[in-house]
Amino acid sequence: MNWRIVGVIFRNEIRMLLRDRRTIAVGVLLPLLIYPLMIYANRVTTRQREKNLTETVYKYAVSGSQAEQVRGLIARGQAAPPGKNASKSEEEGNFQGFRIQEVTTQDPAALLASGDIHFYLKGLSGKEADALPVEAAKPKKEQETGSSKPKATPEAVPARVAGVPLIQIYFQGDRDASQVGSSKMRDLLARARSLDRDVLLQQKGLPVDPALVMPSDETDVARAAQVTGSYVGRFLTFLMLMFLMSSSSIVAIDSIAGEKERGSLETLLTTAAKRMEIVAAKQLSIVSVALVITFIQIANLLAYVDFKLVALPKDWVIELPPVTVVTLLLLFTPMAAFVASILLMLSAYAKTYKEAQLYFFPVNLLSWVPALAGVLPGIALRSAIVLVPVANVSVAVREIMVGKFDWPMLAAVFAVMTLAAAWAVRASAKLLSKESLITASEADAADFAGGPVLFPKHVLRWYGVMAAVLFAVALNVPHLATFRAQVLFNELVIFLGASALMVWKYRLNVREAWALRPVNPLAWLGVLLAVPSGLIVATGVFRLADLIFPVPQRVLEQFGNEIMPKDVPHWQLFLFIAVLPAICEEIAFRGTLLYGLRRKLRPVGLVLTVGIIFGLFHVALFRILPTAFLGVILTTMALLTGSIFPGMVAHAANNALSLWLADSGFSLGNLSWIWYLSATAVFALAFYILYRSRNPYPGLRR
Amino acid sequence: MDPVEVRGLAKTFYDEARGEVPAVQGIDFECHAGEIFGLLGANGAGKTTTLRMLSTILTPTGGSATILGHDIASEPTEVRKCLGFYSASTALYPRLTARETIEFFTRINQYSGDVKQRVDYLIERFGISKYASARIDKLSTGMKQKVSIARTVAHDPPLLIFDEPTVGLDVLNALDMQDVIREFRAHGKTILFSTHIMSEAEKLCDRIAIIHAGRILACNNLEGLRAVTGERYLEDIFVHYVRGQG
Repeated sequence: MNWRIVGVIFRNEIRMLLRDRRTIAVGVLLPLLIYPLMIYANRVTTRQREKNLTETVYKYAVSGSQAEQVRGLIARGQAAPPGKNASKSEEEGNFQGFRIQEVTTQDPAALLASGDIHFYLKGLSGKEADALPVEAAKPKKEQETGSSKPKATPEAVPARVAGVPLIQIYFQGDRDASQVGSSKMRDLLARARSLDRDVLLQQKGLPVDPALVMPSDETDVARAAQVTGSYVGRFLTFLMLMFLMSSSSIVAIDSIAGEKERGSLETLLTTAAKRMEIVAAKQLSIVSVALVITFIQIANLLAYVDFKLVALPKDWVIELPPVTVVTLLLLFTPMAAFVASILLMLSAYAKTYKEAQLYFFPVNLLSWVPALAGVLPGIALRSAIVLVPVANVSVAVREIMVGKFDWPMLAAVFAVMTLAAAWAVRASAKLLSKESLITASEADAADFAGGPVLFPKHVLRWYGVMAAVLFAVALNVPHLATFRAQVLFNELVIFLGASALMVWKYRLNVREAWALRPVNPLAWLGVLLAVPSGLIVATGVFRLADLIFPVPQRVLEQFGNEIMPKDVPHWQLFLFIAVLPAICEEIAFRGTLLYGLRRKLRPVGLVLTVGIIFGLFHVALFRILPTAFLGVILTTMALLTGSIFPGMVAHAANNALSLWLADSGFSLGNLSWIWYLSATAVFALAFYILYRSRNPYPGLRR
Repeated sequence: MDPVEVRGLAKTFYDEARGEVPAVQGIDFECHAGEIFGLLGANGAGKTTTLRMLSTILTPTGGSATILGHDIASEPTEVRKCLGFYSASTALYPRLTARETIEFFTRINQYSGDVKQRVDYLIERFGISKYASARIDKLSTGMKQKVSIARTVAHDPPLLIFDEPTVGLDVLNALDMQDVIREFRAHGKTILFSTHIMSEAEKLCDRIAIIHAGRILACNNLEGLRAVTGERYLEDIFVHYVRGQG
C-alpha cells in the first residue's frame, strides 16, 4: 500500500466533497437548521398540550342504578387530603388541576359522541354486573371496580367478586382530553375506594391507620450518574449508528456509484493506483466526513441542551470521565470504519447513484437490529454477542456507561469490529475488480429480451415486495391478524399467488420453474432419515442461537400460542402448519426463488441465500436462524434431487413432527448434547444417501 | 521485444441471463515501438474488452499479454504506470479545475519528475491556459477533450491506448484528435488505437488488426491487406473478412 497515493486520492475526494454545495447543504446545514426547529416545535406543542389539559374542565356524566354511590365516591376522592393513601404518581401531581364538572343528561352516550362531555360513568349494582357477559364484566382498562390500578396489565387484574357493584367508564380514545380525563377519573375513584377500605378496616377494629401497616420504603443505591448512564448507554450506540449511517451515506453513495455513473471510476482504475489504495482512500474520506458530521450533530444537540432548548429529565447526571470517553471513542471509531466499509461495498455493488440509494434503505433498517442489542434485557458482554459486530459495541457501551469496564471483553469487541471493518474494505476492493460492476453503461441483453431471460434480474425485487406486503399486512390489517386468516393469506396469496404471478408474467415453464421432476426412489430413504434428525439438529442450532440472542421465556410462550393456538382443532393445525406451508413455501422458495437465482450464484452461495431469505420471511428475530437452517437443508435437497417434492415432504413432515411434539409436551430443547451429536451423524448419513442417489438441479452455475 | 505482445488472450463474461459469453476468443498480436496499431471492428467485436484487459481494468480468462515487458496479470500496477488510457467512457471529475485534474493524474500515476513543471508544460502544450482554473463541468466538449488528453499523458507514458477516441466528437474535434495522435507517434510513443470508423483507421494506422466476434481475422498494414484481399478501400477489405467469416 502506497500511502502517498492514498493521500492524493483522499485529498481529491475531500476537495470534491467540499465543492459539492448540495452535499454540504443536505449533510450539514440542513440538520443544523432542522433539528432546532423540530425540537422547538415539539417543545411548543408539548407545552401547549400540557397547558390545554391543565386548563380543561373535564365534563362528565353519571348514569346507572348506582349513580348516587358513584357521585359519593367521586366527592370522597376529591376531598381526600393529598399524600394520604396516594400512589407515587398521584403525589407527583396527577390530580393537580384536575377540575371536573358533572353534566346531567339522560343520554350520556350521545353527549360523549357529540363531544359535549369528555367521558361518562355508569354505576351498576352487583346483580346488574353479574348479568353482564363475561367480557364486559371483567375489569379492564375502561372499567373500574374500585379495586384495581389502571396501569396494571389485564392478566394482573384480580377477577371481580360476584355480587359487588361495578363502575364502567366510557371515553373516546381518539380524543386526547377524553383519554386523559377518564384516566385521571379512574385514579380518583381508586383513591376513594382505597380510603373507603381503610375507613372500613378501622371501623372493624383495626387499631391503626392501615396505610401505616407494613409500609414499604425503597432506596436506590445506584448513583444518579449510573441511572442516567443505564438509560443513555442503551441507546447511545443506536443514536451514533443513525448519525454515522446518515452522514456516511452522503459521501459513500457518491464515492463509487456516483463515479461509475459519471464514468470517472474507469479513469481512476486505469491509473497506477492499486484497487486497495483507491478503496482505502475512499474509506478514509467517508470515515472522516462521517465522524466530522457526527461530531457537529452531537455538538449541535449539546448546544440545544446548553441553551435550554432541549430539557433533560430531572436528576440526569451524565458523568464522562476520560477513561469512558477514550473507551467509547475506541469502540465507535472501528464501528464508524465498519459502517463506512459496508456503505462503500453497497456503493461499489450498485451501478448507479439511484441504485445505491435504493440499497441504502434496507441496509439502514437492518443496521438497527444489532445496534439495539443493548436494549434487550439479559444480554451481557461476556457471551457470544461479543462476536457479533455492532451488537457487541451496543452491549459494551451499555456496560461502560454504568461504569463497568470488562477490559478483556472490550479488547475483544475492538478486535472484532476492526477485523469486520478490514474484511469489508477488502470486499469493497474485490468488488472493484468485478467487471460487471465497474462500468454502468453496459447494456444488459436481458432487458431487451424480457420474459424468462429477464426473470433472474427481477427475482430478488419480487421477494422484496413480497416481504414488504407480508409485514405491512400483518401490522396493519386486523382482519388478517387471526391464525387462520394470516396463514391462508401468507401461504395462498403471498407465496403461492406471487409464485404463480411470476410464472405468468415472465412466461416461465412451470415444470422447470417449480422443479416438478420425478425423484430417484433411493432419495426418499435420505428424506426419511433427514426429517427427525434434522429437527433435532435444528433444535441444537436454536439452542446455540439462544446463546447469542437469548429469548425471554414469556416471548417464546406468547409466540407459541400465536403460531399454535389452543382453540384450533388438530386437523386444522395439521393443515395450516404442515400441509399448506409445505406446498406453498416450497413452491415459492425451492421453486421460483431457486430457479431465478440458479445462475446468479454458485451452489454454496445459492443454498445459503435461499435458506437465509426463507429464514427472513419467518418474521421473529430469534426464529430466523433455525428457519434459515431448515431452508438450507431443504434447498440442498432440491439441488441434490433436482426436484421440489422431497423438500415438500420433508417440510410437511418436519412441521407435523414439531406439532406433534408440542402437543404431546415433549421438548427437544431439553435433550443432552449426545442426542444432538447422534442426530448430526444420522443427518450426515441422510445427506450421503441423497448425494449418492443425486439427480442434480439442471442449469446451475459452476 | 515489442512494447505490446498479446498471446491467446481471451475473455469470457458470465451473464446471468445468457450464461457464458465469449467476448474475446484467443487473440494474438503485437505492437511495434513507435507505431500506431489499429484494432478495427464493429460494435461488440471485442475491441474495448481487449483494451480494457491490456490496461488491467479487466482480468483475462485465458492467454497472456505483456506491456513493455510487464505481465498484465502478475504486474498490473507496473503495466498501468507505463500506459495512458483514453476512451470516450473515461470521464473527468466535474468538480475539479482543469489544472487540478492534470495535477491529480500526474501525482497518482507517480510521475518521477517535477509535478508542477509537468503540469505547466501540459497546460501550455494543449492550449488549456485560458481555462486552467475553470471547473471541468463548466467546460465545452472540445475543452474537456483537451484536458482528457493531457491527463492521459500526464505521467509521460511510453504507450498510449485510445479506445474509440473520436466517438461523440464533431468533425473538427475529431480531426484535432487525429492530429494529436499523429503527433504522439512523432514523439516516439507507441499507440494502440481502436475504432469502427474505416477512414480514421485508414488515415492513422501503420498496421491494422480486423477483429470480429472476439477473433482477429487479419493483421497487416494497409498495403498488405489490399494485396491479400484484392480490395482497394478499407471498408471493402473489412467486409471481405467479416462476410468471409460469416
